[in-house]
Amino acid sequence: MALLSIHNVFKSYFLHGKRIDVLRGVSLDIEKGELVSLIGASGAGKSTFLHVLGTLDIPAAGELRFEGRNVFAMNDAEIADFRNRTIGFVFQSHYLLPEFTALENVAMPALIQRRDRTETYASARELLERVGLGSRMEHRPGELSGGEAQRVALARALVLKPAVLLADEPTGNLDPATGEGIHQLLREVNRDLGITAVVVTHNEVLARSMPRRLRLVAGQVTEA
Amino acid sequence: MNAERQTVYRWSLIWSGALVALVGAVLLGLAITRADAWARVAGTLGLSTLSWGGLLQALNALGLMPVQSALPAAVKPVGTEYVIAGAAAWLVGWVVIASGIRRAPVSSEGPSPAAGATLYPRLAQYRDFYWSTLGAYGGGILLAELVLILLQTFLSSGGGSAAAGESSGLAPTVAFAVSLVVASLVAFACGFVGASRARRVAMPEATIGVIYLGLPVPILLTLMEQLPDLQLSLGYRLREVTYLADMLGRPVIGYWLVFSLLVLMLVLGINTGFIAAGSGRLDLRLGFELFVARRHVGVFRPSLLLGTLAVLMFGIIPPLIVYGIIRAVEAAVERTRIRSLGLQDPLAAASALNRLKLREQSPTMMMTALSVGGVGVGVMALIIVLSVMSGFEEDLQKKILGAHSHVVVSKYAGQLPEYKRLMEQIAKVPGVEGQTPSIDNPVMVLADDEVQGIVLKGIDPETVGSVLDLRQNMQPGGNLDHLEQPQKIAPRRTMFGKQPDEPEEEEVEDPIIGKSTTSASDKVLPGIILGRELAAILRVVVGDRVNVISPQGAELGPAGLIPKSRAFRVAGIFYSGMYEYDAKFAYILLAEAQKLFGTDGPSGIELKVADVDDARRISQAVSRELGGYPYRSRDWGEIHRNIFSALRLEKLVMGIILSIIIVVAAGLIVATVIMLVLEKRKEIAVLKALGVSDGGIVKIFLAEGLQIGVAGGLLGLLSGLAWCYFILKVGIKLDPSVYYIPALPVKIEPVQTALAVVIAVLVTYLASIYPALKASSVEPVEGLKAE
Repeated sequence: MALLSIHNVFKSYFLHGKRIDVLRGVSLDIEKGELVSLIGASGAGKSTFLHVLGTLDIPAAGELRFEGRNVFAMNDAEIADFRNRTIGFVFQSHYLLPEFTALENVAMPALIQRRDRTETYASARELLERVGLGSRMEHRPGELSGGEAQRVALARALVLKPAVLLADEPTGNLDPATGEGIHQLLREVNRDLGITAVVVTHNEVLARSMPRRLRLVAGQVTEA
Repeated sequence: MNAERQTVYRWSLIWSGALVALVGAVLLGLAITRADAWARVAGTLGLSTLSWGGLLQALNALGLMPVQSALPAAVKPVGTEYVIAGAAAWLVGWVVIASGIRRAPVSSEGPSPAAGATLYPRLAQYRDFYWSTLGAYGGGILLAELVLILLQTFLSSGGGSAAAGESSGLAPTVAFAVSLVVASLVAFACGFVGASRARRVAMPEATIGVIYLGLPVPILLTLMEQLPDLQLSLGYRLREVTYLADMLGRPVIGYWLVFSLLVLMLVLGINTGFIAAGSGRLDLRLGFELFVARRHVGVFRPSLLLGTLAVLMFGIIPPLIVYGIIRAVEAAVERTRIRSLGLQDPLAAASALNRLKLREQSPTMMMTALSVGGVGVGVMALIIVLSVMSGFEEDLQKKILGAHSHVVVSKYAGQLPEYKRLMEQIAKVPGVEGQTPSIDNPVMVLADDEVQGIVLKGIDPETVGSVLDLRQNMQPGGNLDHLEQPQKIAPRRTMFGKQPDEPEEEEVEDPIIGKSTTSASDKVLPGIILGRELAAILRVVVGDRVNVISPQGAELGPAGLIPKSRAFRVAGIFYSGMYEYDAKFAYILLAEAQKLFGTDGPSGIELKVADVDDARRISQAVSRELGGYPYRSRDWGEIHRNIFSALRLEKLVMGIILSIIIVVAAGLIVATVIMLVLEKRKEIAVLKALGVSDGGIVKIFLAEGLQIGVAGGLLGLLSGLAWCYFILKVGIKLDPSVYYIPALPVKIEPVQTALAVVIAVLVTYLASIYPALKASSVEPVEGLKAE
């Protein structure tokens, strides 16, 4: 059974009263441990697809199954819980919470689960060490550089060891060298922790380096 | 392809329909004018707006129909044709308006490519109305009302007939408080259950439930005041409820206040239920939400708390000046430091400047401080004003109870010659501390040229001290015991050469009656004790002679009945501190009063009870001990009902008016939390992406509003108590000739003070509900786009 499978998903958005169908019956299976890249033109609906996959966006129709369970049929608390435990997000912008330190930001998903603070902070510290930010734990996001903040965001996505990591142009705001560091981390995560990762990107070179490549064209996802 | 059908409005039809309906309304108005029935119609319209009126009126009209038809044609109300034409035009108008609103025809476009695919499951399950929720909300409010009424009746009447013998239940106020708490809990629980089952706030159900199931009871109670039939059939059963409401003077205000409180509790329950279980799982934990909320609004920072407290205690200007000075000095010091730093290392100066800039506060922080201050001012004003009013009330009660007895036993008609036997019986009732027989009657008192209408009271000097404070209130120079030994009162000798006291003249002719009195110059006259103000008005001192003229016990004279007149000598002057009593009361010996009024016994027995607040119960016990009719006993609350209910009403209205400050502050909180929500849209989206449920977001923002409310409430409590303490210890002088009290009285009542804080916190909680729901409805995708 596929880890994550979506079936016949439709999604539209409305611009000046006109309906634009971005996803037109997308069906896709993603197996456990895969590293998938998704490319497509700007505005083709890559982010929308990723958001639907991560239950952040509600499709008009269609099914999302995780290990065979129908995710969209769950209630709000269960979906929030599913997002919290199963999915890790990395966005183009780091989206760290400005009022909290790097350490607290990384620990946030575990705190949402009301796990024990000391244990949570210990594992968060370990993760921050691992992404090379052992010295910046007590800094607020405003005091971190773009690359550092993105690495904190990655650590935050991984703190609960989710089954799936969804990355939406994680290096879009970074220079190539810094971006390459993030990519390296993503590959390590996929290889060492066995986390399934879907990476949306504009970068053809990066996309080609992934084992499985998808392309979103005209509301349909095809293997590239 | 578009399944959505839009509504089309034909404005020409709607406008013409409105015109026709207006004509109908005018015609109906004409008919009402011709029947001179506006006052009644206005009342009915008022009821109708409460939605139950319509049903009541319809029933009423049905009941009246046979009566109407039986009446002869001549008596039929005028303007029937207007009524018919008006009603018809009114109905036609609405039909035309309704015909102007149509659904748009089904779109002719073809089906979308998604037609037939599985609808998003949660959308497919969505229902926007639940009968069970309606039942929970409406039934809940009705149940709460019934619980309140029944429990109060049950508790204050001592658990029904079983215990009717000895103790007669709790004091009415305590019974009411207990039942109110229970009823509030019932309303809260029903709201909680309803909302947690429906998993949404379910406003339509709540509105319908409250209007159709909650309103009838208060409407019934209100109508009971006005409809004698209803009063006859229900009044007796509801006497415990009406008695308590009557203590306010305006019972209707009481009913509706309690009703709004129950609705408030229902709303709180609904909201709490939604937060706890709205996202599908009951979750009452708050740790994480508080953790986030505290970071969002740092209400509990010493600087903010101290600053607000300073503003509350000393007003706005002085703390502002101090703050300005501190900031100016601080800025000057910082700049000098940075300049000297920069002279050595410009980059160090730059980062120091940056740190300085980071300390600047956001406008939301400013708003937070303002909201805290607003709530604080409201709570403080409420506490101070209510405490001062309690002080006045206590002072008045003390004075009234000093001059009057707690309970008066009398007969429905006639005197009590058998008072000695009754007193023995009354002494057996537990709680009775003292008793004295008395007579009181209105008389005229005159001395030389001054005349005054007063209440003359016949007392028994031996026992009067056990009931009234008369003995303590005597001014030096007089003596209460001289009433019984009038020979000891020294008649006043001439003091001023100008106006010699000529006894001969005085006794020869009574100025009013014009009849010779037989008294000799130094004849021993019975004593009388006057109030200080009365003595001043009559211009008499101890030893002076006054005449008392009583319409009661009139004597048959040559020209028919003439009022009885007796001379008394002033034996003493008392000062109670209440102008009303000092100017309106005089005391004589019981036996003298009996003689004067021509009665064969006292008119009543006055009692003092151990616990003033328990007087009603003891009064009932006394009444039972005496076997009821023809004896009756009334407690002070009943005798002086008007003044105390006026005071309570005044306090209540004052409380309501001052609560408006809190409501304004709540508006500030709404604005503050909405600003916070707008400012934190991105963070809300991120939190949701990280797995916080909608309920969690609601909790976070409710906690933010509540922090403001709690901080403001506590600061208000602190400053309010501090001010009360200040007034108590230092005092604010009053003009004694106006207020009859030397300084502003203060009495801090713990319950009332706590209530002010609790109300403030509840109001802020209510105020935060809307912004918190707004926050939870931020779509993660929307927030993440808003970069």
